[in-house]
Amino acid sequence: MKASPYKNYSDPELIAMCLRGEKRAWDALIRRYKRFIFAIPIKFGFPESDSSDVFQTICVKLLEHLHEIKDDRKISGWLATTTTRQCLAMWNVKQRDSGTEEEVEEPLDPVGSLEDVKLLAERHQLLREAVEQLPDRCRSLIEMLYLDITTPSYEEIAERLGIPEPSVGPNRARCLDKLRIMLRHRGINTPWNK
Amino acid sequence: MRHLSVENLLNYMEGHGTDVDKSTLEAHLANCRECLELKQEFQVLILQLREDSAFEPPAEALEWGVNLFQPVMQPEKGGPRKIIASLVFDTFDQPMLAGVRRVGVPPRQLLFRAGDVDVDVKIESMEANDRITLVGQVLSSATKFFDNTPVKLESHGIVRYRTRTNVVGEFSFDEVPKDTYHLSVDLPEGQITLFCVHRGNS
Repeated sequence: MKASPYKNYSDPELIAMCLRGEKRAWDALIRRYKRFIFAIPIKFGFPESDSSDVFQTICVKLLEHLHEIKDDRKISGWLATTTTRQCLAMWNVKQRDSGTEEEVEEPLDPVGSLEDVKLLAERHQLLREAVEQLPDRCRSLIEMLYLDITTPSYEEIAERLGIPEPSVGPNRARCLDKLRIMLRHRGINTPWNK
Repeated sequence: MRHLSVENLLNYMEGHGTDVDKSTLEAHLANCRECLELKQEFQVLILQLREDSAFEPPAEALEWGVNLFQPVMQPEKGGPRKIIASLVFDTFDQPMLAGVRRVGVPPRQLLFRAGDVDVDVKIESMEANDRITLVGQVLSSATKFFDNTPVKLESHGIVRYRTRTNVVGEFSFDEVPKDTYHLSVDLPEGQITLFCVHRGNS
């Protein structure tokens, strides 16, 4: 359950390590932004296979441009813009390759405007970063409760964490509250969907 | 007024507890704005966390992205110097001209640059047999051509196809299966690696 030691490194630190040839830093960077990248084509309305293609293309582009973005404090802006452009390019190619004129002229219709997609992706990333900063046990608990698509039971969670089952509820309350307060301190305390 | 504990509030939100607990909590929430706002805050937080799990990329795509690093950044000891070429032009990124309609998939044209060496690549998709033809030319700002230069097409860490450039630096891989390839050009200055053929994009 222990988190990778690389999780505490900032983006520029990870990029610098990548440029020195540290594979684990690249691994950490991709894992840090995997959902951020993948969420954008999904929000555009692309199916999973196309979204995977966008994800892989962005990984390639990131590797190609790492040396150019090492001075940035955050690469999320670069990723948001590049991924959005890639989605638009893919959409245009799909329209080009499809048949009728009507389809070509049909406007892009992602979920909300492009800016909304980027904004939402960035807000989600802030949430992920806050989860990453939680103490190991709290992070694991939150991940198992809300992020694990296999939705483990309280019994399974207790077993994996090595705690009694009745402690899962109180621990969940403490950890979620910790996360909520952490987000407040970072200025993210308004409901995002408004 | 004594406020609700976070645990009781979360239990209520998840439908745990007795009917008595439920009505007591609801009565409190009806009169306590602070607890109601806290409840809304947790609702949004949990919703966002759950939504985030839907954005997990497939394991194989993630693995592909992670493994991308290996062939470039870990050169063999004593082996040739490896240079990553930057993509400077891609027709895939170009907008279509207004009003233009087209039949069939056009070739994808890419231009990579590594130092003063340019590698021009054209990828043509054969829809009939799900294969691609990849032709290219290695050029430099100097007048000489890179003739008889080894060119390799790798996928999943294995060299799949090899060829050499002709007298004017041109090379060709005809009707290879669609896949994600790395193209490498072995020059005396080092090995230039390009990421160029991406399944589904060409």
